[in-house]
Amino acid sequence: MEAVTRLVKIRTSKTTLAIGDGANDVGMLQEADIGVGISGAEGMQAVMASDFAIAQFRFLERLLLVHGHWCYRRIAAMICYFFFKNITFGFTLFWFEAHAMFSAQPAYNDWFISFYSVAFTSLPVIALGVFDKDVSSRVCLEVPSLHQDGVNNVFFSWSRILSWMLNGMCCSIIIYFGSLNAILVQAVRQDGRVAGFDILGVTMYSCVVWTVNCQLALYISYFTWIQHFVIWGSILIWYTFLVIYGLFSPAISATAYHVFVEACAPSPLYWLSTLMIVVTALIPFFVYKISRTLYYPQYHDQVQRANSKNW
Amino acid sequence: MNSHAAGTSNGGSGDAAAGGAARRNTRMPKYSKFTQQELPACKPILTPKWVVSVFFIVGVIFVPIGVVSLLAARDVVEIIDRYDEACVPSNMTENKLAYIQNETISKECIRNLTVTKDMKQPIFVYYELDNFYQNHRRYVKSRNDAQLRDASKANQTSACEPEKTTANGQPIVPCGLIAWSLFNDTYNFTRGNENLTVDKKDISWKSDREHKFGKDVYPSNFQNGALKGGATLNPKIPLSEQEDLIVWMRTAALPTFRKLYGRIYFDLKENDTITVRLNNNYNTYSFGGKKRLVLSTATWLGGKNDFLGFAYLIVGGLCIFLAFAFTLLYFVKPSTSIGAPSINFGGLEPDNQLFCFTTLLTLVLHTAILLIVDFSVLAKASVYHYFSLTPYTSGNANPICGFGRKLGDHNYLSWNRHPAGR
Repeated sequence: MEAVTRLVKIRTSKTTLAIGDGANDVGMLQEADIGVGISGAEGMQAVMASDFAIAQFRFLERLLLVHGHWCYRRIAAMICYFFFKNITFGFTLFWFEAHAMFSAQPAYNDWFISFYSVAFTSLPVIALGVFDKDVSSRVCLEVPSLHQDGVNNVFFSWSRILSWMLNGMCCSIIIYFGSLNAILVQAVRQDGRVAGFDILGVTMYSCVVWTVNCQLALYISYFTWIQHFVIWGSILIWYTFLVIYGLFSPAISATAYHVFVEACAPSPLYWLSTLMIVVTALIPFFVYKISRTLYYPQYHDQVQRANSKNW
Repeated sequence: MNSHAAGTSNGGSGDAAAGGAARRNTRMPKYSKFTQQELPACKPILTPKWVVSVFFIVGVIFVPIGVVSLLAARDVVEIIDRYDEACVPSNMTENKLAYIQNETISKECIRNLTVTKDMKQPIFVYYELDNFYQNHRRYVKSRNDAQLRDASKANQTSACEPEKTTANGQPIVPCGLIAWSLFNDTYNFTRGNENLTVDKKDISWKSDREHKFGKDVYPSNFQNGALKGGATLNPKIPLSEQEDLIVWMRTAALPTFRKLYGRIYFDLKENDTITVRLNNNYNTYSFGGKKRLVLSTATWLGGKNDFLGFAYLIVGGLCIFLAFAFTLLYFVKPSTSIGAPSINFGGLEPDNQLFCFTTLLTLVLHTAILLIVDFSVLAKASVYHYFSLTPYTSGNANPICGFGRKLGDHNYLSWNRHPAGR
C-alpha cells in the first residue's frame, strides 16, 4: 500500500494522509505525509509508526476539521508574527546604525538585546501558537469547507508573509524616527537634562515591546486569562527587568544603571512619546484589518462573523 | 453510542453501589477546561460600531494631549547661536584648521544674543555639536568604567586604546577617547554691566556622580601626550566633582547632540542683549562639525520640540477623520460580511488582490522615501567626513585640539588590526 501512496504523492504533488490501524499499514503510514494511526484492537504498531494517534476511526473528522484548521491557522500566524516581531526589533537597530556611521554600535544595552526573544516577547507567541481559536469546534465541524483554507494555503501565502514583514519594517521606522524626533535633542525633563544614548535606547525598546505585544493583542481572536496574562505580563516583565537590572552595580548594568527610575520614569515626555509611537505604529495594521474583515472579507472572516454569537 | 475506549472490559457494572474511591473505568483523559480549550474567553469581533468608537476615543484623547504638548513646546524660549564659523578671524577663514591648532592666536570671541521673549529662570545653557559621532562603536568602547569608579583600579586601561598609557607606560586616568576629547569651549554671560554667573553644579545625573565616578579618583597623566584632544582636568579635583567630564562621558545618541553646560538663575526680559564671551577652543573644523550655543528654558515637558505635539494632533486628527469616514462608509456601503457566508474557495478575489496590492505599494513607497532621505543624509555626512580629513604631520608640536584626524585616520587606527586589539 505504500507504493500506492507514493504514486499518489508523486504524481499529484499533494499532501497525502493515510490512516490505518494494523501492522500491515505501517509502510503506508510512513510513506504518507501525514500518518494517522488508530490504537486499539490490532495493537500499537500503527500508532508507533504514525504522526498522529487516535482511538477511533471517527475521531479523524475532528482531527482534520477542528484541530487541522486550528493548528494550521495557529502555526501560520505564529511564524508570520515571529518574522514581524523580530523585524520590528532588528530594523530599529539597523536604522540606528545609519546614524552611527555603520560602526556596529548596538542601540540598546547588550542584555536588553539578549532578553528580547527570551523574556519579553516569547510567551505571547506561545499563547498565539497554542491557544488561539477563530471559531469554535462546533462551527469547524458544521462548516467543513473551512478546511479548504489549508488546502489553498490562505494563511501562509507569500503575500501574507511579506505583508507581515512589511508591517514589521513600517513599525520599526515609526518607532525609530518617532523616538528620535520626540526625545532628541532638547531637554527631556523640567530639570533641563538631555537624553543620551541610554535614554533613547530605553525609549525605543519600550516602544518595540509595547508595539509587538499590542499587535498580537490586535491579531488574536480568542482571549482567555492566559492571553491577557502573557501579553500584559510580558510588558510588565520588561519594566520589572529594567528596574531590577538598573539596580545592579554599574559594573554589570553599564548604561542601564538607574536609567529607568532616575531618568525615564519621571519624564512625562517618555510616557507620552511611548503612547504616541505605539498607537501610530499599530494604526496601519488596524486599518488593514478593518478593511479586510468588514469590506473585503475572506471566507473564514465571514464564517467567523456569522458564528460569533453562537460559539 | 459507546464513546469509551477498549478499557471498559474490566467490568464497569455495579461499582457505583460498592462505594469507596470512585474508580475510573475508561481511558478518557480527565476533563479540564484548559486541556479541552474551553476556558472562558472573550472573542472580540470587529463591528463598525467598535471601529468607530475606537477611532473616536483615540482621537478624542490624542487631540487635547497634542494641544497641551504643543502649548508647552511653544512656551519654551530658545536662543540658538552658531559661532564656530563666525568666531574665526577674517584673515584665517581660508585656513580654519591652522587657526584652531595655533596656540598663539587668541580664541576669545564675543557674541551678542538678543532675547526674543521673556525667559524665566532657571535658564539652561547647552553647547550643541553637529557631525560628532559620539555613538561610533570604537568611541563608545574607549573607556574603562572600573578605573573611573575605583582609585585602586587606576591601572585598568583595557579597551582605552589609543589613550591608555603615556609613553612611559603610566596609566592615564581617565583613559580612553571619550575623556580625551572632552569639550573645552567656555562661556561667560553678561547683560550690560551685570554678570550672569553660570551655575555648573548638578549638571550631571546623580547616579553618574555618585556611583560611576569615584570620589577618590583623581585625574593623572591626562592630556599629557603630543596630541591634545580637548580640555585638561584639574588633578586636584576628584572625578565625581568634574561635572563637565561626567556630562561629556554620558555619550550622546546621535551625531547632533546637546549637552548641559550650566544654569543661569536670572530672569531675562524681551529685547535684552546678552553678551557672550566665549573661548572657541574646540576643534570641530577638521571634520566639518558645527558648534552652537543654546540658551533655553524648560517646561514640564522639557525643551522646545514641536514634534510630539504635532504628532499627537496629526494622529488624533487622522483617527477622528477615520471615525467619520467609517461612519459614512457604514451608511453608504454596509459591510458585506454580516449574514450567510457565501462560498468562496480559492485565494483572493480580484478586488482583494487590488486592495492588497495598493496597500503594499503605499507602504513600500513610504519605506523607500524614508530610506532615500535617511541614506542621503548619511552619505553626505560620510563623504564630507572622509574628504575633509587633512594631512596631519606629526612634526607639528603640541597642537591644540588637533582631534579631528584621529577617528578617521587609518594609519592611526592600525592598532585596530593588531591581534591584541579588538
